[in-house]
Amino acid sequence: MEVFINASGQFLPGEPVPNEQMTDYIGTISPDADRRGKQTLRNNGIRQRHYAINADGSTDLTVAEMAARALGSVLDCAETDPRSIGFLASATTQNDFMVPGMASQVHAAMGLPPMEIANMQSVCASSMMALKAAALQVAQAEHDAALVCGAEFSSRYFRPGHYLGTDAVAADGTLPGDADFLRWTLSDGAAGLLLENRPRERGLSLKIDWITLTSFADRFAPCMTGGAAQQDDGSLKPWSHFTSAEAAARAGAFQLRQDIDALYRMLPVWLGEFMRLVDTGRIDPLSVDWFCCHYSARSLRKEMTRLATRAGCMIPEERWFTNLYEKGNVGAASIFLILDDLLRSGNLSAGQKILLAVPESGQSIMAHAGLTVMENGE
Amino acid sequence: MSASRTIGDAKAHHQAAWRGLSRERIEFESTLVQVPIVKRLLEGNWRAHDYRSLLVNLRQQVIEGSRWISRAASNLSPEHEDLRSMFVRHAVAEHRDFRLLEDNYVAAGGRLEEIQNRPKNIGSEAFSAFMYHTASKPDPLGMLGAMFIIEGLGERMAGEWAALIQSQLDLPDKAVSFLAYHGENDSEHIAMFEHALKLAATSAERTEDIVRHARVVARLYRLQLEELDNV
Repeated sequence: MEVFINASGQFLPGEPVPNEQMTDYIGTISPDADRRGKQTLRNNGIRQRHYAINADGSTDLTVAEMAARALGSVLDCAETDPRSIGFLASATTQNDFMVPGMASQVHAAMGLPPMEIANMQSVCASSMMALKAAALQVAQAEHDAALVCGAEFSSRYFRPGHYLGTDAVAADGTLPGDADFLRWTLSDGAAGLLLENRPRERGLSLKIDWITLTSFADRFAPCMTGGAAQQDDGSLKPWSHFTSAEAAARAGAFQLRQDIDALYRMLPVWLGEFMRLVDTGRIDPLSVDWFCCHYSARSLRKEMTRLATRAGCMIPEERWFTNLYEKGNVGAASIFLILDDLLRSGNLSAGQKILLAVPESGQSIMAHAGLTVMENGE
Repeated sequence: MSASRTIGDAKAHHQAAWRGLSRERIEFESTLVQVPIVKRLLEGNWRAHDYRSLLVNLRQQVIEGSRWISRAASNLSPEHEDLRSMFVRHAVAEHRDFRLLEDNYVAAGGRLEEIQNRPKNIGSEAFSAFMYHTASKPDPLGMLGAMFIIEGLGERMAGEWAALIQSQLDLPDKAVSFLAYHGENDSEHIAMFEHALKLAATSAERTEDIVRHARVVARLYRLQLEELDNV
């Protein structure tokens, strides 16, 4: 059975925060760390983002609440009775709680009747796991309508209190690059989609042609981590293996880390997966009208462009659609934020092809999806 | 067929070959970390013996390299004379490389007779046999795919490995000159290679043949690293 994306929506907390006001929210670890942050911002090109914390670190939101609000906005523009939704898949990097999963809290916050749920926890590509789970549920006629959401609340981990007093802070007040990088990269928000077994009668739908997702954990160690501390021998010790939660915290186990060198080593492998899809005929680079790629930094985009051009599979840059620089890198929410903005851009017309691409650095995943634009059911 | 169409096709074949070779190289290089000796190196767990073992095993294959390139050159017909001269030049440039390996071995504490007299490991046997087999065929353009994998490894990994080995084992420069040389010079070889690919990948069949050779050689190269000292 064919599956269609029939509505989309997003929730971004508060007003956009420009680069010069970031430290009002995530605070300052040291002047030197702030200088390094400016370099990271020059590389990623992000100009503004949203934070779900207030300037004093307090918040009225949770990641599940943001996901529910995004899905509320999805339902506000749907042709569908919310009670007919049989399945909900949620995606995030770190839920509010360790137990239970976010999908339960999103379901509760939405006030919908009993339904099937699936909880996807990874990093950026958890969004595509949720999308694929929902698409298969509808394709198999298990449910007529399904909701998918991605949400992140990273800023709460970036406050100075999560770093100061831990082993991660050097004598000169700086953080190691792997602990510092994500503070200047990630931000908050949520977005979601409604999938159904028939297209909209009026307005835009996106037919899901295919979705692929491939893990390369057979060849990469964890590259983005949280909940573990690196040992002298290079291994990762889970926080729960420390003698106490306090000892784990002191070792920096609760900090989000990104091995930046490993990120650049993964890039050719992600592009290799793209080339595989070109060679097997799934992707025709020249027939893609809109390329929505969740790249995390402008510098990574440049490297991708260089490799793809040489291999004759570059999608012309004027067909790339991104909102990274205005909305920030919102992890598992990003690809749905991009799709929602594209659907609302007024630039889509029936028959156009959209390609989604979501690389995940966590332990290396690459996901793609091919969509076709439909208007008024055609 | 118009001239522009012909040029467009040539570019498409060349790009398809580059794409196919890139895929093979990415798969090969990104999975090398699964090979025990590479894994231990990257994790900082090498012993002095590991480096000497690598040198001995590489030497028996490297000594064959310029010989199968020469044989391939001799089997290139006049249609491919530009490629032939490139092959010959490449063979000349590298035909004494095994001496570097011997010098490195001695500088790393090994005995010259030891590295000179050890037989190939069973992976190198398969690797060399396939290269001579390919080189012996008429117009062996598939060799380019094989050379891309081998030179690519040098360009992208050799320099990094040399630095890791030197720091882990506290060795002088003269003990890692083979890897350091390939780390510094194989990018030139890759540039030359790109030109060769333009000359060779002129049809879908040839492109496929070149990429297929890359795939086979990637597997056999890995095999010789998996079978170190298994003679």
